[in-house]
Amino acid sequence: MRWGAFFSVMVIVALIILYEWPKMKQNPKKDKMAFFTLLFIGLVLSMFDLPHMGGPTAWIQSLFRPFGRFMEK
Amino acid sequence: MEKGKISSLQMAIMMYPGIVATAILSVPSITAKYAKTDFWLSPILASLIGYMTVYIAYKLHKLYPKQTVIQFSEQIIGRFAGKIIGFLFLVFYIQITGNMLRQYAEFVVDSFLVNTPISLIIALMALLCSFIVRGGLEALGRAAQLFFPIFTLPLLFLIILVFPDFEFKNIFPILGEGMMPPIKGAIVPGGWFTEFFLITFFLPFLTDQKKGMKYGMMTVFVVMMTLVVVNLIVLFILGLATSFKVYPLMSVGRYISLGGFFEHLESAVMAIWVVGAFIKISVFYYGIALGTAQWLNLSDYRPIVWSLGILLVIFSFWSLPSTVELHKYSVGTFPLLGLLIQMIIPLFLLGIAVMRKRKRQGSE
Repeated sequence: MRWGAFFSVMVIVALIILYEWPKMKQNPKKDKMAFFTLLFIGLVLSMFDLPHMGGPTAWIQSLFRPFGRFMEK
Repeated sequence: MEKGKISSLQMAIMMYPGIVATAILSVPSITAKYAKTDFWLSPILASLIGYMTVYIAYKLHKLYPKQTVIQFSEQIIGRFAGKIIGFLFLVFYIQITGNMLRQYAEFVVDSFLVNTPISLIIALMALLCSFIVRGGLEALGRAAQLFFPIFTLPLLFLIILVFPDFEFKNIFPILGEGMMPPIKGAIVPGGWFTEFFLITFFLPFLTDQKKGMKYGMMTVFVVMMTLVVVNLIVLFILGLATSFKVYPLMSVGRYISLGGFFEHLESAVMAIWVVGAFIKISVFYYGIALGTAQWLNLSDYRPIVWSLGILLVIFSFWSLPSTVELHKYSVGTFPLLGLLIQMIIPLFLLGIAVMRKRKRQGSE
């Protein structure tokens, strides 16, 4: 867990909510849900040690390994 | 959802830095590794992929004039499968845009701001791009127009200023080892050319839709010419040493010396790169924001722009511990992945769409 990154993301998320919320009062409920869900995903992901964690990039990379080997020659 | 309109010339001006910005810096050395002295031929071969991608994107646009890939894939292969394809596209674009942010920041940190934390540079760029994307398509088009001269003029000056240092014999032997090395060298730039599929997010909002194809093809041609010229400059100056440099065009910038006082023009290359990266990332970011909003059936894409910015910053670090890994990804994974997502899948969608249309016409 990297607290520095987590707290800075938390501050940014708070700022985004403060900035965006007054403007989206009129928007449908679905918009608000999507807005908060995406922010929440960002916040959760920022808790991990991302550079050394497996994720979509690493999965695709291992899927395309034969091609990678072909390109290394 | 998007009420703004742009002209097809603006689209071309947006797409040009969208492809060239990252391509002129890192691609010459990657291509030179495979093609040796023939690496100026590779962009010509790679551009064939670009023409095909624009053609596919335009044909799909003709069949579904008011929709982007996220929407018409649902119409073509059904709601559920269409959502999956849409999700693939979004994750792919978020991932490669995160990669671009990282590449941009690695370059800035490597060459200029050595002591600045990389996360700060990435976050600031993401912030800047969020502002422009939030401004809408018209703002993006105008920003691209405004920055276009700043992006292209330094490149022209660079060519004129390094001209005295050219070693024209570096180009020989031409095709010394046959056609295979330039073809293998074309694989990586080919990945860059598939990014032209991004015009699918702009075609529905053109004021002159008929010209979309013409300008798209023209952009591919101009991008190809730029890459060929840049590769030739690099070849004439650095020769076989190109493949050992990480940013060959930077090294070329250091060669400039005019009258003893006009020196160290790497900053010109830096200007090209920062402006180009800004336009490039914004163009992709816009596609992501619009696509995500359409995928979730939202009423507007503006509220989710900031949240997607955080995701982009996260993806710029995710599973990429070092520059070496980043390089491995852009050489060993991206070209094939880009081809698969941005050309094979759309081609497959186009095939089904055309067949369905024929069937409908046959039954009438």
